[in-house]
Amino acid sequence: MRIPQLVSPEQQQRLHPIGTVLTVVGGLVLLASTFLPWAYSSAALDDMTILGYPSTLQLYAAGFGLGAAVFAFLGRRLARGDGRQVVGWTRGAKTASVAAAVYLVVILGSIGLELGGLVNVVYGGWVALVGALVALVGSRLLVSGRPPRLARRVPPAWLGILSIAAAMAVVLYAAYYGLDQEDAGGFVSFVVVAIGAVAVLFRLGVMRWLSAVSGRHRKVLIFAAFLTAFAFPFTQNGSDENMSIATQVLIFAVTALGLNIVVGLAGLLDLGYIAFLGAGAFTAAILSNSVFSTVDWHPPFIVVVLISGAVSGTLGLIIGTPTLRVSGDYLAIVTLAFGEIFRFGMINLDGTDGPDLTNGSNGIPGVPDLNLFGLDFKDTHTVLGIQLGRFANYYFLLLVLIAVVILIFVRLNNSRIGRGWVAIREDEKAAEAMGVNVFGLKLFAFASGAFLAGVAGSIKAHHDVSVTPDQYIFLESAFLLAAVVLGGMGTVLGVLVGATLLKLMPEKLRFVEEYRLLIFGLLLVVMMRFRPEGLVASKRRQLEFHDDDDELAEKIQSDIDEREATGVVPVGGQA
Amino acid sequence: MTQSFFQALADGLTLGSLYALIAVGYTVVYGIVQLINFAHGEIFMVGAFGAVATFVVLGGGTLAWWVLPIMLAGGIVAAVLVALATERLAYRPLRNAPRLAPLITAIGISVFLQEAVRLFYGRIPGFPDAKSNVQFPNIQGVTGSPFVIGGVTIQRAAVFTVVALVICTIFLYGFVNRTRLGRAMQATSQDPDTARLMGIDIDKIIMIAFALGAALAAVAGMAQGLLNHNINFRMGFIAGLKAFSAAVLGGIGNIYGAVLGGLVLGVAESMAVTYVPGVFGGSAWKDVWAFIILILVLVFRPQGLLGARVVDRA
Repeated sequence: MRIPQLVSPEQQQRLHPIGTVLTVVGGLVLLASTFLPWAYSSAALDDMTILGYPSTLQLYAAGFGLGAAVFAFLGRRLARGDGRQVVGWTRGAKTASVAAAVYLVVILGSIGLELGGLVNVVYGGWVALVGALVALVGSRLLVSGRPPRLARRVPPAWLGILSIAAAMAVVLYAAYYGLDQEDAGGFVSFVVVAIGAVAVLFRLGVMRWLSAVSGRHRKVLIFAAFLTAFAFPFTQNGSDENMSIATQVLIFAVTALGLNIVVGLAGLLDLGYIAFLGAGAFTAAILSNSVFSTVDWHPPFIVVVLISGAVSGTLGLIIGTPTLRVSGDYLAIVTLAFGEIFRFGMINLDGTDGPDLTNGSNGIPGVPDLNLFGLDFKDTHTVLGIQLGRFANYYFLLLVLIAVVILIFVRLNNSRIGRGWVAIREDEKAAEAMGVNVFGLKLFAFASGAFLAGVAGSIKAHHDVSVTPDQYIFLESAFLLAAVVLGGMGTVLGVLVGATLLKLMPEKLRFVEEYRLLIFGLLLVVMMRFRPEGLVASKRRQLEFHDDDDELAEKIQSDIDEREATGVVPVGGQA
Repeated sequence: MTQSFFQALADGLTLGSLYALIAVGYTVVYGIVQLINFAHGEIFMVGAFGAVATFVVLGGGTLAWWVLPIMLAGGIVAAVLVALATERLAYRPLRNAPRLAPLITAIGISVFLQEAVRLFYGRIPGFPDAKSNVQFPNIQGVTGSPFVIGGVTIQRAAVFTVVALVICTIFLYGFVNRTRLGRAMQATSQDPDTARLMGIDIDKIIMIAFALGAALAAVAGMAQGLLNHNINFRMGFIAGLKAFSAAVLGGIGNIYGAVLGGLVLGVAESMAVTYVPGVFGGSAWKDVWAFIILILVLVFRPQGLLGARVVDRA
């Protein structure tokens, strides 16, 4: 998407000093306004009625204001030089101003909504809005300069590792804090703040620097990330409420990562992916010790996992073999049809319309908790004085699974197979002419994705306690696909972000429950229109989706050159 | 024995006519822009709801036969407008995007349209609540006591459906072969670039393709309402899938193929319910049979019964 330039670069060159003054003044006004009361009553959001010191939510606004002012001040000389810069101060100032304005609109809007009308916004709020708008206008007049070169600075190893640790600590705290927000307004404001802060860091060049540092200390990064994820249950102090959301997010993310192999890497649109998850879940439930199980054989879970994966993988082969030979569009429809066949089949295998296997639409309830290596998953354990309940047990298991899936994903992507997938995705005929085994690679992607879904399903069956056909409907497939698309096809980080957003938002935003699907449908359309490569874009994907955009191609080429010059390996295995 | 055969045939032809009417929409659009308009099932649903809306607003409570064409016109207008809006706002900007993009957009539109009808239809004063089944008016003449011919029961609405298909097919044949626009459509379908050089406005042709499909889908929506006596916001999903199967069966991109494919699929589905022995022959499995036919066609004859223009375009 091209945002129209309101002020041309030449004008910015001339207006830069005025822009600096306006941005600094606006930012400082916003900062000062947070010491004033914003709301008429303390009932909205947190208490914003106090004159003298800011509340937590006001503090965020103060942060953006201060950021805009300081960054604009630090970038004041940019228009005089040739635009070279180490840190993108003015870029950061611009983004901070936008974030401040958006944040204020959200906050004042929430006050208006929760107290019934914008009359409940007191003078401090309007001062803040004016400050933010002045900063916004001023920041548009600033020159952007050339891309920041911070990422080329190589810090000493201890500083790099420390930065990674600090970043992970921030992530952990943000996860804890965000999930702790009970009130929808508070949660939305937190999300806006988090997105704004990340965007500012990106524009400053700090994120690139961090990603370059992480590339140098890959093992540290991976270790730190998993340590962070591992530490999360310890922040919850035995409370099951957030842990149950967290396990749902993980199940969703594992499945979405499996789908990402199929859609993101091999470029095959699978619209019945949930059926593979369902096949795994039903297999595991039928083979479990549930009293409603219809089969007399109950092997240990390790065996069940493999059987579930194998059942799903076989189904994948059965569906894939005929359809992968014809065009990609057919695959989408056939997988969709397969998803429906699966659901009808599970409903009909109830003893009256077919052999009794699944108890029909009642499904198989009472699937017992897992018991692995003597660890009973239904028990609460106390570690370091902190209670870890049932969901925490599943959380750790799923964490292991997600690690395995990410490992498979990255290894496949960087292998000969992954190169073959890229070739097929970009031009199937050319790939075939070059000797790529198109059909075999497609089938492999399809079946391995199905296998992973089956494995995830076997854990889901035990986690959910009961398995019914109506958990595995087309809409769930669409949600999984949306997680992949929204986050960024073919990236690990993107899909994790997408899955988290899509599962977390409905849990926290109960007031939009009714409009959840409407917004979801609209989101898919808008994403495809304006940012088809997703929030976290893989560079190659970005080019595939914008293949007539020469400017972007040049930008990516210069990024690659820069990276080669500094010898940095990209994070997350993105090409 | 023969009676149950003819009963199954009659039921199958009715169902098949319904599929055929929807399938034409998939095939016309695919033939011109190589896009599977996933949201077409929802256009069918919008057509049915548009017909009910017209009945509420203009019908004045009467169930006389002359309300039928008015409802039909209202349904067609609603479906065509929605189809054109989706084409203009969602598909057109993606015309040169990778093929994954419009497919995902189509899923988004599909979910969006279902939810929009579910949430907002009933909020319009006087309109029935669309969150559960909506009663479809029992128009005189096309509903009521069925015809019984030699022991075979034929609903009046079934006759309406089959007749509608016949009329629509004749109209389509005339339009595609005898009018300038129809020939322009054929030209575009054969070679869009050359067609453009010949002075054909491709955008206009694509819009006409969408409108044509939507109009036929609205007729099908009307027929579905009369056959089932009620409609709901989910009705487009399965019907759309089946109709797509019919389009593939007939050879996607081929208009007459879609009609033939619809009829064959309907009859096959109905026959499967009657003649497949044992528990798998029950009506609970009929949708499964339809999809298995789709998969079998893709294995053994991916170009469809009448042969598609393009099959292997990736």
